[in-house]
Amino acid sequence: MGTTEKLHAPAVLRFLTALVPLLCGLVGVFIANIPISFVSVVVPPPLLGLAPVYFWCLVRPDLMTPAAAFTIGMLEDVMSGAPPGVWTLAFVLSYALVARQRESFAGLGGLGAVLGFAACAFAAITAAYAIVGVYYGRVPPLGPMVVQLAMTVAFYVPATYLVSTIHHRVIGPLRSDF
Amino acid sequence: MANRTWKIARRGNAQLPLIIVLALAVVLVLVGKAQSGLFDAARVRITDWMAPALSQVRAPLDGAERWAGSIGEIFRVYEENLKLKDENARLRQWRNTSVVLEGRVRHYEKLLNAVPDLELNAVLARVIGRANRPFLRTMVLDAGTANGARPGQAVMDENGMIGRLYLTGKQTSWVILLTDINSRIPVSIAPGGVQAVLAGDNSAGPRLDMIAPNTRIKAGDQVVSSGDGGLLPSGLSIGTVVADGGGFRVALLADSAQSESVQILNFARLQEAPPATATLPAEAAGLKPVPPPAPVTAIATTAPQPGELTTKPKQKPFVMPPLSPAAPDAGSE
Repeated sequence: MGTTEKLHAPAVLRFLTALVPLLCGLVGVFIANIPISFVSVVVPPPLLGLAPVYFWCLVRPDLMTPAAAFTIGMLEDVMSGAPPGVWTLAFVLSYALVARQRESFAGLGGLGAVLGFAACAFAAITAAYAIVGVYYGRVPPLGPMVVQLAMTVAFYVPATYLVSTIHHRVIGPLRSDF
Repeated sequence: MANRTWKIARRGNAQLPLIIVLALAVVLVLVGKAQSGLFDAARVRITDWMAPALSQVRAPLDGAERWAGSIGEIFRVYEENLKLKDENARLRQWRNTSVVLEGRVRHYEKLLNAVPDLELNAVLARVIGRANRPFLRTMVLDAGTANGARPGQAVMDENGMIGRLYLTGKQTSWVILLTDINSRIPVSIAPGGVQAVLAGDNSAGPRLDMIAPNTRIKAGDQVVSSGDGGLLPSGLSIGTVVADGGGFRVALLADSAQSESVQILNFARLQEAPPATATLPAEAAGLKPVPPPAPVTAIATTAPQPGELTTKPKQKPFVMPPLSPAAPDAGSE
């Protein structure tokens, strides 16, 4: 009985740990889209949900699955007020890009890592721009998208620092069997 | 045990490969195109859930903004006071004029038995959130269906129209701003009453579309809601026309970034009932309506020749009696 409890508790904990990347993405989307912000009135908010997708897609793709990227993108759709599916498809497409070029992206460091994330964000925002253009049947204004790309890249370093810390302190010790 | 959990997780991943998720995302876009309100219920529920926290967080922010903004005002109090006194005196004169004109209009409406204007009632709401996103410019209000707010209602600040409600939860509402890319408002441009559509494109000044050809518009003309379609009341102040290259844009009177309290106009176009016969103006003036012509009972056996009438008019032509108290029918009561 005691042995069973000892084995059961870590399994549950490990399962919950596997949800941490998804939760980080959802929390990032939630924070970015709270309609109270010092920057959101002036400029579009950053895609904070994309940083966990990018980071864990490179570091632990078994924990950041396509379904997780789908879910994070869908929450972005719900909270940002965008047409349904726009950010969902954009996030999954950028996930596909990073997953296919994982070796290249994972080898980047320093400024290269920022540029790698910028390429991922560019893919997501360009996809969203194109989808919305088709959706509305007219070309949406480009300026807000460019500003959102800049904001997203600007927030990459602190966001990555945070998710990296979470990864090393929470996920690493509990799920180091990959 | 741990290995089994791990294997289950990997097997779950294998069941949802990237291609399937991509296909699901494409399907979601297509379904969303067919049903644009797919996520609306979730949106308003999240906003309703966040409303208390938003109000709490917003209050110190508003206080800080007011405090910061009042520092500069301290040095201009005296000048502002003089200006306000002058403006107050002029507004009192205008108020007297408007009271006289209002009485005159009511008198004329009574004489004409005119259908009265619809009375608008309004709900005062506080702005508890703002968002400027690439595909949506919105503000969140702390009034919802519990306060009588409904989608489509106009939202005004003290200067003019800001936008329309497009999502209403129980306690909160989302406003689609006039500058939003999805906003389309039928407007009227004065003087001249030129009809147009005010179309947002996420810029600060929405553009004027669908202007009829051969109409003259110039910068500085006033733009108000036209009320076409019955969705919005007519005459709501919106802004002034600004030339923009070959087209025109509108400089909005309302500042959605600064508005803290707004009004939600409850407007519903009433079905205009035809007036009763006894209350028609002609009846009220004592004029008897002309009886309808008697139905023709006999059918002409021969076709009338050109220029020949089938029946001769036996009634005298109607002559308007003099509108004086001495008129026999008008003063009979």
